[in-house]
Amino acid sequence: MTPASPATIPTLDFKAEADRLLPPGASYDACLACGLCSSGCPASGIDGMDPRRFIRMAMLGLNRELSTTPWIWSCTLCQRCSSVCPMSIDVSVLVSLARGNWPPERRPSGIVRSCQAQLRSASTSAMGVRPEEFVDIVAESAAEVRRQGPRFRRIQPPVDRQGAYFFVNQNSREPAAEPEELGPLWKILDYVGADWTYSSTGWAAENFCLFGGDDDAWRAVVEQRVAAVNALGCRVWLNTECGHSFYSMWRGIRRFGLDARFELDNLISWYARWIREGRLPVNADWNRAGLRFTVQDPCQLVRKSVGDPAADDLRFVARALVGAENFVDMQPCRGANYCCGGGGGALQAGRSGARRSYGRRKFDQIAASGADYVLTPCHNCHSQIEDIGRHYGGDYRVVHFWTLICLSLGILGEDERRYLGPELAGPGLPDRGDDGDG
Amino acid sequence: MSGEPRRHRVQLAVIGSGLAGCAAALFALERGLTTAQVGHSGALAYTSGHLDLLGVLDGRVVDDPWSALGELQRRQPGHPLARIAPETVRHAFHRFTAALSSLGIGYTTPGDRNLRAPTPAGTVKPTLSLPCTMAAGVTAARERSATLVVDFAGLEGFSARQLVANLGPRWPGLRCTRLDFPGMEDGGVLYPEAMARALEVPATRERLAGRIRAVLEGASCVGLPAILGIHRPDRVHRALQRALGATLFEVPTMPPGVAGIRLQEAFEQALPARGLTLVSRQKVTRLQLGKEEATLQLHDSYGPLEIHAGAVLLATGRFLSGGLVADRDGIREPLLDLPVQQPPGRDAWHRDDYLAPEGHPVNGAGIRCDRWLRPLNPDGRVVHPRLFAAGILLAGQDWVRQRCGAGVAIATAFAAVQAAARHLGPGDGDSTPNPG
Ligand SMILES: Cc1cc2nc3c(=O)[nH]c(=O)nc-3n(C[C@H](O)[C@H](O)[C@H](O)COP(=O)(O)OP(=O)(O)OC[C@H]3O[C@@H](n4cnc5c(N)ncnc54)[C@H](O)[C@@H]3O)c2cc1C
Ligand code: SF4
Ligand code: SF4
Repeated sequence: MTPASPATIPTLDFKAEADRLLPPGASYDACLACGLCSSGCPASGIDGMDPRRFIRMAMLGLNRELSTTPWIWSCTLCQRCSSVCPMSIDVSVLVSLARGNWPPERRPSGIVRSCQAQLRSASTSAMGVRPEEFVDIVAESAAEVRRQGPRFRRIQPPVDRQGAYFFVNQNSREPAAEPEELGPLWKILDYVGADWTYSSTGWAAENFCLFGGDDDAWRAVVEQRVAAVNALGCRVWLNTECGHSFYSMWRGIRRFGLDARFELDNLISWYARWIREGRLPVNADWNRAGLRFTVQDPCQLVRKSVGDPAADDLRFVARALVGAENFVDMQPCRGANYCCGGGGGALQAGRSGARRSYGRRKFDQIAASGADYVLTPCHNCHSQIEDIGRHYGGDYRVVHFWTLICLSLGILGEDERRYLGPELAGPGLPDRGDDGDG
Repeated sequence: MSGEPRRHRVQLAVIGSGLAGCAAALFALERGLTTAQVGHSGALAYTSGHLDLLGVLDGRVVDDPWSALGELQRRQPGHPLARIAPETVRHAFHRFTAALSSLGIGYTTPGDRNLRAPTPAGTVKPTLSLPCTMAAGVTAARERSATLVVDFAGLEGFSARQLVANLGPRWPGLRCTRLDFPGMEDGGVLYPEAMARALEVPATRERLAGRIRAVLEGASCVGLPAILGIHRPDRVHRALQRALGATLFEVPTMPPGVAGIRLQEAFEQALPARGLTLVSRQKVTRLQLGKEEATLQLHDSYGPLEIHAGAVLLATGRFLSGGLVADRDGIREPLLDLPVQQPPGRDAWHRDDYLAPEGHPVNGAGIRCDRWLRPLNPDGRVVHPRLFAAGILLAGQDWVRQRCGAGVAIATAFAAVQAAARHLGPGDGDSTPNPG
């Protein structure tokens, strides 16, 4: 590295770093320059860069250009390139390095500020929701849910309950921006009689420090969360509908060798299990109109972590919910799926032109599927797919799994339908009764 | 968090997901064998989409590949295609192309003669079967129909002008033009994969059809680079052809193209639905052949995996795919360190004349097998009764020069599965349904 003032980006020696990081025997020199990676990368062409070019330039020692290209904030670290490369070359390793090499004041401020917020609060919330605020929001929202009718009288989300089976995490977007989206999740957990708890600390799901290229910060957030789960003695850290939170925890625990005395699991797999066991008796009767649904495989959950079993569970749950005949896959899908373009911190990086250009492939996939709705078990995917739909003039809607589960079970409240179209504003409203206790 | 491997138990484990591995998995499922397949990206990703059986023999272009197989038996008895009965080869080819067609990637029915298919270099190439999206190009070239070939600003690896320059002298009705691809007009590099996905969207097809119609000028046929969709290209082809009102065909592009992606994605989705336990985008790191069973070890992103099988079919390809490795001491097979039939030293790998029509000794290197496709030790004994091999990993063929890549892959996959099934017999392995 060359010495530099804080605001200039130092020059990284990418080839030397690659030699240091790659396992013995592996080398970027093995690149055949075949271009399969770039062909399958939605970020190809943004800022005149693509993964093949990045690798070639690294091998040629064009370090200054690579150190400063803003493209590193458009690559979503989705690892599609390495999954199609015959040599398994993973450009995202170098991209992460390049990100960490940018001085914090030059990195996209959205990512930096989110990460700083996470490090500041015991909540680990990127939106700055403090522990006591979280507890209050949960209590108030639960009261709202109870007012929906007598059958919700028992909804009392536990917080800091020692020894619960599930430690349930929560993306900050719900408590901070759309608390009415919390209710469907609680109703499902209540329906199946889950033994669960929130924690007042370490409850948040998101991890933007991972995307800043700052390993110490990533580690600090994961440590905080691991400590919270260990302290409550829960058996399973249950990741709710959020993709990168799973990857950041699962990968972080291994990478940093943390002492996690619990299993990691994700909610979709438990939906699948509860449906198989008959504890969530969902069906597609509400979908008489034959609305067509597709599902987004979050890269962070499917390609980068759990793999095909997660993709299978997503489809099993989706088919059960909407009717097999109304389900259609995007192409490609599962482990070969394209990133939505909102991952890797792209939604927070402020480069919306580049982000939407990346999202064009996702938009085309959705348009080709002819789906009316996209099911997204991930908040980043959800926001990005909504945004590109508006931008490119799509006529689909984007919805969480929990919304459809509650809809199917007849327990979805009126206020919990913001992501449903007018055709689904009415079906299966819960009985109101008049003794909601508030 | 536990590090215990997840385990699968099957009758047959296929290693490799090129044409040979995919064909083997398909044939094994058709036979009712419980099957697992592990593979990564490889040579298949670069294929033109043509399925060649035998296009060139002794430097001569082959018109009738079936009679050429007889000739091959006489001249090169060690060639993998020479050791399988022609009717078995034909049967395997038919089964394979029929299966592809049922996946929405229609292939022409293999006939008695090789087809002459236009290539991106502006030559015609002998092949036995090609995607239906490319079929009309063979007829147009033969009949010299009034044809417009279109290429696109920003698309490398396909030049309509080059095609016309080379084929035009014998094909007077051939013209070319360059268009902007709808939605990709910003001057960047275009990839066939992105264009093909975009053409799966009806609105993009309509815009492209409009642009082509405006420059048709009486052409009855239109040739495009291979970009007519990836998933169910037949549908895209039909719809665009209808919108154009002209006969439409694709010409392969230089890699990275879409033909291999089509096959790979179709297999990855269809075969698991038929019961295959598929571990895609991964490589087997260790293979043990035991008395009771074979054990494959590997890692996916989630952790360790083990596959226990009654028989193993090795279809790991050559250097590009990692089935063979060349180093200073010679050519190795990296998984089991199988004996590799090869020239005595590096000096003997190539002839002095680089373009020698008979090819180079190194191209014939590979794994030597008995007639049941079981790899052999140098002394002629079978390496292990549970081990079978197929595809271009095999010794004694030169698929690039002889234009026999798909033929070797499909025919040997069929024969190896047949032999493995015989080894497994009724009652060997585990006949319970697939866990996957
Ligand atoms: C540029 C190019 C153009 C071609 N064009 C044509 C054409 O026009 N017509 C034609 O007929 N053929 C063509 N081919 C050839 C065709 O692709 C091959 O004939 C065919 O794919 C060979 O099949 P294979 O399965 O034996 O080997 P490969 O396709 O090489 O497949 C080998 C597989 O084994 C996997 N593998 C290797 N090691 C391991 C391991 N340890 N664990 C798990 N998996 C492993 C690899 O990942 C790969 O999936 C072309 C090939 C290339 C490279
Ligand atoms: S796919 Fe792999 S080998 Fe091919 S250009 Fe990309 S990095 Fe290089
Ligand atoms: S966006 Fe994904 S496919 Fe493209 S370079 Fe980054 S990690 Fe690879």
